[in-house]
Amino acid sequence: MGFLDALFGGGKKLKGPAPDRIFAMVTAQITMETGLGLKHRNSAGIVFQPLGTADFNQIVKDTEELLRGAAEDTGTTVETHDDEFNYRWVVLRDPDFDDLVQAVNVVSTELSAGGYGDRLLAAVFAFEDDRGKPVFFIYNFKRGKYYPFVPAPGTQARNNEREFQLKAQLENELPIEPELERWFPLWEIPL
Amino acid sequence: MARTKTSFGRDPGLQFRMLLTIFLLGLLYVALVGAMFAAGAGFAIILVVIAGLLLAQIFVSDKLALASMGAKVVSPQEAPGLHAMIERLCIQADLPKPKIAVADLAMPNAFAMGRSKKSAVVCATTGIMNTLEPHELEGVMAHELSHIKNRDVLIMTMAGFFASIAAIIAQFGLFFGGGGDDDNPSFLVVLLVSWVVYGLSFFLMLALSRYREFTADRGAAIITGRPSALASALMKINSQMHRIPQQDLRAAGEMNAFFIMPAAAKNSVAGLFSTHPPMEKRIERLQRIEAELQQSAGQAYMAA
Repeated sequence: MGFLDALFGGGKKLKGPAPDRIFAMVTAQITMETGLGLKHRNSAGIVFQPLGTADFNQIVKDTEELLRGAAEDTGTTVETHDDEFNYRWVVLRDPDFDDLVQAVNVVSTELSAGGYGDRLLAAVFAFEDDRGKPVFFIYNFKRGKYYPFVPAPGTQARNNEREFQLKAQLENELPIEPELERWFPLWEIPL
Repeated sequence: MARTKTSFGRDPGLQFRMLLTIFLLGLLYVALVGAMFAAGAGFAIILVVIAGLLLAQIFVSDKLALASMGAKVVSPQEAPGLHAMIERLCIQADLPKPKIAVADLAMPNAFAMGRSKKSAVVCATTGIMNTLEPHELEGVMAHELSHIKNRDVLIMTMAGFFASIAAIIAQFGLFFGGGGDDDNPSFLVVLLVSWVVYGLSFFLMLALSRYREFTADRGAAIITGRPSALASALMKINSQMHRIPQQDLRAAGEMNAFFIMPAAAKNSVAGLFSTHPPMEKRIERLQRIEAELQQSAGQAYMAA
């Protein structure tokens, strides 16, 4: 957002996805599993804002077909649903973590290729600690950055201490979002 | 004139008072400079005082505005839905999260404040949260986030300041540009001319404000991808605004005396005094954006 953009009321479109750093999660997951005692929950999700246009729906449908077609090799299952904020989740389940990251990448690549990369909100990878408490890593497509999200008991409460620990533990392996005011939570993650 | 950017202010009483405040604030600058100059203050002192006033406006006015609306900054626990909605919009708009405030007012309205993206506050009234469906409220909040993204509060503050500066220059021009004849214009004439200059730039400023409302509408449509949701929110707010009287019965009578023109003469002249474009025009533009979206769908995004 340059000075002129601000002066004339901004660009014509939203910022598109940043250069893809999503695959950094593959190595980070190994560290989490072996060093930090965090197991992945065999699931990942990608959340975006559906548009009410015909070609957008077609692209989403095609992407699902593509993933279901590949499922014969990878075993990744796909389901979609809309949440209470009217955002659409594509939930992917697979015991093989590499396949999960790959599938998330397929969704984002397909939407970007269709010209809708700017609609992508986030990808979410779900983990749990040894007591079964969830730990999420959220990938912000526009920033090309990850950040941890650890929900705490209570309405919209989060465990910031744990999140900071995770940042310190993983910042060498994951591109972590440096600005804390951009660590946006996502409530009711269906993973 | 750091003021709040209200998106849907159609309450004529409130709007008139805002307008008057903005106008008087600018006039204050002009009069102050004139007075200081007449009192024999040097240029340096005048510059320092004016710069100080401008800075105070930029840095303090948002807090004053929040306080005057009785708005209170709310935590995620107090307003979970609103927080979650705005957080998602922020990711989409690539903005840091603003502070979120709620004002306990029946009038459906929302506004954004703050000189920069980091110090921004978004405020919604309880009225707007009760009136609108979630997707409509989302459109309104995206409109406010567009104001933040476009730095509208700062730009309008600066525009107001420059309007004052223009008037001040007119003042000095009359003092010094008289051609050296002995018929120097009297102090009163100088003041009059600078006020006229200020009045003209004031209307230009309002035009700029209206233009930026359109831009924020467009920004909101792009952020949410649902121009029609914002259009329906505008319609709802508009009808609600007319249904619920804003003014105390006792206050209304004396306010009427202040109106420059009778309420019946709501024509293009009234439009000149407005900080916001008419609702019909805003909806018309939003419908055009929806048509663009539906027709050119993906290609528009790819080509842009």
